Amino acid sequence: MQVKVLSARFDIPDAHKIEVAKENGAYATLEKVFSMQPIEVIELVKQSGLRGRGGAGFPTGLKWSFLPKNNQKPVYLAVNSDESEPATFKDRHILVLDPHAMIEGIIICCYAINSHDAYIYIRGEYTTQVKVLQAAIDEAYAAGYLGASVCGQDYRLDVTVHRGAGAYICGEETALLESIEGRKGQPRSKPPFPAVEGLYGCPTIINNVQSIASLPFILTNGADAYKAFGTEKSPGTHLFGISGLVKKPGMYELPLGLPLLEVIEKVAGGLREGRTLKGIIPGGSSTPVLTPEEAQTVTLDYESMAAHKTMFGSGGIVVLDDTVDIVKLVENLIHFYHHESCGQCTPCREGLGWMLKIVKKIIGGNGTTADINLLVELCDNIEMKTVCVLSAACTMPVRSYLNKFRHEFEAYVKSDVSCQTAM
Amino acid sequence: MAEKVKLFVNGQDVEVESGKNLIDAIGAVGIEIPHLCYHPALGADGNCRMCLVGIEDGRPPLVPACKTMAVEGMKVQLDTDKIKKIQRDIMELELINHPIDCPICDQAGECKLQDYYMEYDGQKSRMTVPPVAKAKHMDFGAGVVHDQERCVLCARCVRFTRLITKTGELGIVNRTDSARVTTFPGRPLANRYALNVVDLCPVGAMTSKDFRFKQRAWFLAKSESLCHGCSKGCNIYIDHNKEKYKDDIIYRFRPRLNQQVNGYFICDEGRMTYKLENDNRLNVAQVAGKETSVNEAVENVRRVFSQAKKIVMLISPNCSLEQMQAVKKLATANNAVVSGYSDGYIKTGDGDLFLIQDDKSANRAAFGLLGLDSSKAGFESALVEADLVISFQNDLCRSLDDADIAKIQDKAKIVYIGSYKDGLGEIAAITLPVAAYSEDTGIIINADNILQQYDVAVRKNDPAIDLLQIVTLLGGEFKNREEVLTDLSATIAALNNIDLKHIPSEGIALTDKEVSNVAA
Amino acid sequence: MSDRSQLIETGVPFTFDAQRDAEFERLVKRYPTRESMILPALWLAQEQEGWISAEAIGYIADRIGTFASQVFEVATFYTMYNLHPMGKFHICVCRTLSCYLLGKQEIVDYLKRELGIKPGEVSKDGQFSLEEVECLGHCGTAPVVQVNGEFYENMNVDKLKELLATLK
Repeated sequence: MQVKVLSARFDIPDAHKIEVAKENGAYATLEKVFSMQPIEVIELVKQSGLRGRGGAGFPTGLKWSFLPKNNQKPVYLAVNSDESEPATFKDRHILVLDPHAMIEGIIICCYAINSHDAYIYIRGEYTTQVKVLQAAIDEAYAAGYLGASVCGQDYRLDVTVHRGAGAYICGEETALLESIEGRKGQPRSKPPFPAVEGLYGCPTIINNVQSIASLPFILTNGADAYKAFGTEKSPGTHLFGISGLVKKPGMYELPLGLPLLEVIEKVAGGLREGRTLKGIIPGGSSTPVLTPEEAQTVTLDYESMAAHKTMFGSGGIVVLDDTVDIVKLVENLIHFYHHESCGQCTPCREGLGWMLKIVKKIIGGNGTTADINLLVELCDNIEMKTVCVLSAACTMPVRSYLNKFRHEFEAYVKSDVSCQTAM
Repeated sequence: MAEKVKLFVNGQDVEVESGKNLIDAIGAVGIEIPHLCYHPALGADGNCRMCLVGIEDGRPPLVPACKTMAVEGMKVQLDTDKIKKIQRDIMELELINHPIDCPICDQAGECKLQDYYMEYDGQKSRMTVPPVAKAKHMDFGAGVVHDQERCVLCARCVRFTRLITKTGELGIVNRTDSARVTTFPGRPLANRYALNVVDLCPVGAMTSKDFRFKQRAWFLAKSESLCHGCSKGCNIYIDHNKEKYKDDIIYRFRPRLNQQVNGYFICDEGRMTYKLENDNRLNVAQVAGKETSVNEAVENVRRVFSQAKKIVMLISPNCSLEQMQAVKKLATANNAVVSGYSDGYIKTGDGDLFLIQDDKSANRAAFGLLGLDSSKAGFESALVEADLVISFQNDLCRSLDDADIAKIQDKAKIVYIGSYKDGLGEIAAITLPVAAYSEDTGIIINADNILQQYDVAVRKNDPAIDLLQIVTLLGGEFKNREEVLTDLSATIAALNNIDLKHIPSEGIALTDKEVSNVAA
Repeated sequence: MSDRSQLIETGVPFTFDAQRDAEFERLVKRYPTRESMILPALWLAQEQEGWISAEAIGYIADRIGTFASQVFEVATFYTMYNLHPMGKFHICVCRTLSCYLLGKQEIVDYLKRELGIKPGEVSKDGQFSLEEVECLGHCGTAPVVQVNGEFYENMNVDKLKELLATLK
């Protein structure tokens, strides 16, 4: 089931070094790229059907075409390498195993959007990874792929690595821009959208690492070659991260559209001995959980996920077996989102902390049915009332656990004697 | 006039100004959209989420009104169950970690959280878990005290120090519900407008060290007035109260919006001049160091006035236009010289590019309008033969040192007719207390030639006589203020077309040309 | 998040050493505004001293030409900036989702016992500091522990014992 498109050089020793990468095809497509008009590159990417691999799945080529025409300001590219959504660990593999694929992708993208300055925003926790990445960038400068004259062309391109420092919210594209500009990572109200008014008030494209790293293949082999993978509406391949309670967790490159359960069974080795499936988080912690019944019919693509009222997200799949205490899992998730709330909007700032305390109260044996109902209501009260979707990234999955596993919450409440006598 | 657009608010046709956000546009026609973080002087931040409104057929259907411009045909929903529920929900979330200590909070009575709770929330607390604990009564410097637990993190104060004063002392540190407003160690609030954050704060998180615990907001009468701290003429509210068996006391000045003059703000020094109105007052008449009745003092002034060979009438640049005109006419009738000499009121280099002016007097521009000389040379030459100097509010001690004053006293009697006890009030041969501007009505012209009127704010138990009456008693030609105004309109070219009896609240901008023409 | 706003003042003025000074000047040219240097400069200060003092924040603000309050905001917002001295070995245990499912609690409990400190604390001898952190992006090899920036994957108590033995 596994394919080798993005991961083609992952198994080659020292492919993060430029000589090895070049021997294995890196930067080979640039000559062709520079022979094309930028608009042709954008068209090709549009035709490939590549969708943003950060989580939202927005068509990449279409995003590029939102840049204003007749623009006089600089255009910036920000590469989102903040990969912080729990269960997501795909971009890290590109950064470490094939950084030159991403750099080549940056050159392609910047040429297409007429940008001369790219910033790679990498999460602060990726301490060893940033060293590999910076070394690769230094190599690319030395080899003339970056700098004043890219590939000998009259085209300057500078790539700067900007390190985050521990803030999930900086994966939100406007929070990422704020962070580059030297502020707290607090998302901006939209509109204006970054394509019109982004970094330093200039038109800016923000793309995920994996989206960018997909470009060399598309430019080398054409849109049809890319579309040969995946489904009609969700073409291409994706680096899926499978983790949790399976035999062989890990990162696997797969075409989109494969049946979820089959992938878990055949690729990730299935459940551990003697265990039964309780649920599957399909695309990172912020996606609503699927019950085993729902999982039966799900395939790994945007449309199937949406049809099952969940999301493809970042492709981070987490398998939950019968040992998992859903209420404690929910506590773990709310703890995460509360900890990562930027503190800007009232509902998210105040509400997630309240939700966390209520769950803790339930787990502590002091909860009531009213507390469970309050949790459900707070999900509704907080969701979509904020500048960004961080609060929804918490309330959507939490609501799904409350709906699909309510009996587990009720068990905590019913087991509480003091509460019953109090009533 | 701005272009008008037609909106549908709650299904009703409403005509509003275009180019404004929904809060301002719809607010201007009397429909409130609740908000905590938005302030017209600070722009839209969008963090409180209290102003979320529905847009029928809109994409997205729910928008923050502060960030949404009024557009022709927009259908705004404020009264739907959905919007009312959102407002209630946001209020609930604002309050879960709030101490709800209204009984000991200075903001009570003028607090947005209180108002909005009554208007948009009204439900019982569902908070059964401990709230977040934060710091209380933090001294932020510049007389500002902060309570982190009461704060709703609207960031108005932070934005004020970054956007308006550009001093940036305040920041919101941490994230999550641990976020809080604070200052960096060793860099407290240190700008000359800092107390505006107390007014800007919609809740009780920012309080004034000077005002806190002194009065409940609902006991204060709020009278419109003009600050006399400098020549900017900032519009203020005088908040005062006459408690039972006590006198009418001023407790604070607050800025009053005038886009033409001071916008939404005033400076801290001006704000604190309320103390002069309460405390630094000349309350009793004195003749040769002995307390007398006002009538007796007036008789004494009339006597020295009639006996004097040469009189200098020293007028203060803080006197109103009417007072200046009355004194000018009195001087002319008595062959006296009028001088506005008051160099000591000017602190060169003290002003800034925002509101604070070098000139610490309120009405110097009127000297130009009335052709009154304020030069030192003019004053000195007038003194040569003078045997009587009558000061009308002019504290000569601000302009001359003790030795110079003593020299004047050697040859001339000094009479001080004024409101404040410092300086000349302590050394004049005759002192006669008159009403201060907070107790009087008058017109002043500010440094930008904007003519404005202030009215009686404070009514003392034992009101001082007003300066115009004194002038009348000394033989002045005007029986009352109306007559002065009629005369001013008739004789001063720049005022010919101005109805001085009906000055609009935003004032009247006189052009530079009009003012200088008369002065020339 | 606990309150991070109680900065420590060393009483000693802070400046970049020659190496960081040069790095600051190299990086500042990469951005159109000096404010963009706030995060990189805080990293440089932390690299230099191991943590970030009030003096360092004030220095960075003045060097960049921005408000100390803004640098203060940034330093407290981003949790990887250490606002007090850490242990010689700073151990971060991932607490989120996949690491939680695969037994991060055993690891935390073991470290608490072994080091005699709770998350957020530094051992008395200054050797170790312990922190529970949110997702480190190593979910496929959970649970994961980070020591001074190095990742240790598929951790369990036995492997932790071996690791601790090497941290001297």
